[in-house]
Amino acid sequence: MVSAPGTLSRADYEPDGLWKNKVAVEVKSGHSFRNLRAGLMQLAYYLAREPHKRGVLVLVDSRITDTALNRERELAERALRPEILKRFSIAVERGKDFHGLPQDLEREFRPWLQDLIARETRKATTRWRQPADAVFLVLLNQWFLREEAMTTRWLMGAVGCSYPTVAGTLDRLMPVIQRSTDRSVKLAGFPAEEWRRTVANLHRVYPTLRYVDRSGQRRSPKDLLRRASGLGRKDLAVGGVIAARHYYPELDLRGTPRLDLTLHCPDEMADLSFVEQLDPALEKAGLNDDAATLAIHVLRRRDPFFVADGDGLPLADRVSTLLDLHDARLAVQAKEFLNHLVGSVG
Amino acid sequence: MISLSARGVMQQVAEAIPAECRGEIIIVGSLAAAYHFFGKDSKGEITTKDVDGMLSPNASAIRNGKVIAERLLQAGWTLRKDPDWGALGGSSTPDDKLPILRLHPPGNTEWYLELAAAPPEGSMVPKVFERVSTTKGDFSLYSFRFLAVAEEDPLKSEFGILYARPEMMALANLLHHPLIGMETIGDTTDKRSNKDLGRVLALAWLSADQDSNALDEWPLRWRAALEKRFPNEWRDLAARAGAGLRQLLDRKLDLDQATAISNLSLLRGRDLGPAQLHATGRRVLVEVLRPLESAALAKSTA
Repeated sequence: MVSAPGTLSRADYEPDGLWKNKVAVEVKSGHSFRNLRAGLMQLAYYLAREPHKRGVLVLVDSRITDTALNRERELAERALRPEILKRFSIAVERGKDFHGLPQDLEREFRPWLQDLIARETRKATTRWRQPADAVFLVLLNQWFLREEAMTTRWLMGAVGCSYPTVAGTLDRLMPVIQRSTDRSVKLAGFPAEEWRRTVANLHRVYPTLRYVDRSGQRRSPKDLLRRASGLGRKDLAVGGVIAARHYYPELDLRGTPRLDLTLHCPDEMADLSFVEQLDPALEKAGLNDDAATLAIHVLRRRDPFFVADGDGLPLADRVSTLLDLHDARLAVQAKEFLNHLVGSVG
Repeated sequence: MISLSARGVMQQVAEAIPAECRGEIIIVGSLAAAYHFFGKDSKGEITTKDVDGMLSPNASAIRNGKVIAERLLQAGWTLRKDPDWGALGGSSTPDDKLPILRLHPPGNTEWYLELAAAPPEGSMVPKVFERVSTTKGDFSLYSFRFLAVAEEDPLKSEFGILYARPEMMALANLLHHPLIGMETIGDTTDKRSNKDLGRVLALAWLSADQDSNALDEWPLRWRAALEKRFPNEWRDLAARAGAGLRQLLDRKLDLDQATAISNLSLLRGRDLGPAQLHATGRRVLVEVLRPLESAALAKSTA
């Protein structure tokens, strides 16, 4: 499936499509090698299980160059057994054409494949809405950090939005905006009213996916964090109680109720396949579920403002961490942390 | 169904086995699992009437089988009356028609020790029968091919007798059931494969209960056992080891049955449902079988 959230309720991998019960097809989009390799391995597992089937990995909307793709093919040839390889192809959608499609699959297969791609692409491109509040959250984070005033262009770059979006936000925040003579801007103080509005609209401002354990053996946040740190992903940061304790060691809370991760996806497509690597027993929480074991906050702005923290995962920024505490219904601790942050600005 | 103290039964079996044979018998099955997980708890129980002892290695299994059987019979152990075998086996009875060595402890018919053998090295058949001649007649020592992995690095009980590692029993069950078969247990409608594959889930669940990271060690142990015991075909075995479990997780009625059976034995009192065992199964598939399958897919460097 194209960059869609990990399908955790399924027992195990099944290809996106199976043509005439003979050819398994996996569709992958985007330009990440991780996605390509994941698709490659998934199909390889499948072909090992299904010795009478062939497999085609189809890359769509891919910016991976032919040279890079050939290199990946060579790596696969070195890694995989010949009896799997001879049944395996990688095809790339280039405009209306497919490069690398086995010739005997050209005629009837092609329209079927196009339908499959259209279906899979629809599934995956359920895009997140661009948050109108991202500019405000960046301004607030910079204020907590006591940074200098910012230009509109800088804000546009940090958020990844247009001039009108920044200008509109600055107009809305006018009472709490301090403008310099060079037209750069910063917050003049803590914008309490705007913050209350943000917290009240948390679900819109800060999309969160919650996961619960289904095995009856909930893994600890520490254990999940260890596994997340081992993934080597650059788009993840730890937030919530763990990050809050880093920024404010006096936080009044015993234990860590859940793991909060911030997933940076500026291209608006959230690849949640890593959740399965943290714990395959996790499933998306339903309405009747108890407290989540894992919360993933989707951060869409261009600059994540992650804060490096030794060899482990970086930390989510202060504002995101604060929002994590609200999302976890730790209102007392959120207030305490907020007071600390505001007090630190002086 | 009766309940027995896992620790007590292990002690009684250990004490009854002649000292010279004690290092060459491995307890497998329910007692091994129950002792491993609940042995320290005086209330830890097994809910089975058969205690399985596997004579290992195969090369000395016939000799040891005879020694153990004679010694137990001398000590007052009695042959279990089995309706399948009305008469004792003789020299003219084919090996696979001979009665199995099943012995009740003195004065107690609640459980019995069933003697089997480790499979012959390099055996390619699923089940082998070998003859043991005793003063009471001839018996059969059967061996299952894939139980060879249960011979790997067994654990030692506090009573000196060896028992199979939970993860190795789980692997043996997976290898034995590459699909959900139709064979049922006795007069019940319970499928043998559901019981055994459910056992895999129960062993994984209990292992994780003991140590939340326990499954992390399974892939390497499984691979080492497969490479050692099946050097020429370990890749194929590894690649298909998860097939039966995948089927079980995909088939609601079979998973329901596997859950019900497990809840009457190793998981008794835990009140687990199919959803929990399904989640445990996903952990086994993703965290144990997938690395094993990757290793199997990788090109040999030899």
